[in-house]
Amino acid sequence: MDQAAILDHQFRVAAYVITWVIQLGYLAWLGMKWRTIKRDARP
Amino acid sequence: MKKFTILLYVVLTVGLMIWGYYQAIYVAPNDAMQGEIFRIIYYHVPSASVAFLFFAISLAGSIGYLAFRRNHPERAQVADAWALAGAEVGVVFCTVVLITGPIWGRRAWGIWWTWDARLTTTLVLWLIYVSYLLLRRFAAGPQMQTLAAVLGIFGALDVPIVYMSNRWWRTQHPAPVFGGAQGSGMDPSMVGPFLWNMLAWFAWGMMVLGIRYWVERRSQANAAADARQALNA
Repeated sequence: MDQAAILDHQFRVAAYVITWVIQLGYLAWLGMKWRTIKRDARP
Repeated sequence: MKKFTILLYVVLTVGLMIWGYYQAIYVAPNDAMQGEIFRIIYYHVPSASVAFLFFAISLAGSIGYLAFRRNHPERAQVADAWALAGAEVGVVFCTVVLITGPIWGRRAWGIWWTWDARLTTTLVLWLIYVSYLLLRRFAAGPQMQTLAAVLGIFGALDVPIVYMSNRWWRTQHPAPVFGGAQGSGMDPSMVGPFLWNMLAWFAWGMMVLGIRYWVERRSQANAAADARQALNA
């Protein structure tokens, strides 16, 4: 594998990882928000 | 039954995401010119499409809120929840676009960023909707939802400009792959993986949008209960 292909691979992996960090991070934030709202819910 | 349907949808969505990943990495070939870096397209373009769809949902919600706010307050709250959910989840997907794009551009063009029409209009779109979310977070009072709805409508006006930017102007960003000029398009061996990833990201996006809408409706119910309690005190 030449240097350019290695860099392409690393950049592609970085893009995929960042995408999932953003998506799952947002989902986790939503989960925390939901827990707060559920805790504060009025009867 | 409702819980079962939701669970089934989540399982199908996760299955689609795994299948989409498999298609993008193991089935689709490397691009003849760009090599492996081209595979970012399977995340970048679906994310942009989902962001556009959700900003359109936000637009519909904003118009609905303005239409219903005087005579149908409950419908207006539903519309407002859709407007907020569409804008917020749209910003998440737009953020993915604005990060994966420069990563791709650094390898394909040798630069992280340039102020060309497609990139700039996308950044402006993101900034408008971030402003929308900041307005909703920090503004108070009965006019907040109305102001947010107006901003949401103005923000959505940028979506067709972003879409058309690399058709109207010569840009560093490549010409459209689909629906572009004669000769545009994708190698047939890449179309299947691309469509699977489009479907998977749409399913994922709808799931996240549904959760965000539901959380907002619960939040509205809490706020209404607080208001009733304050009136009774």
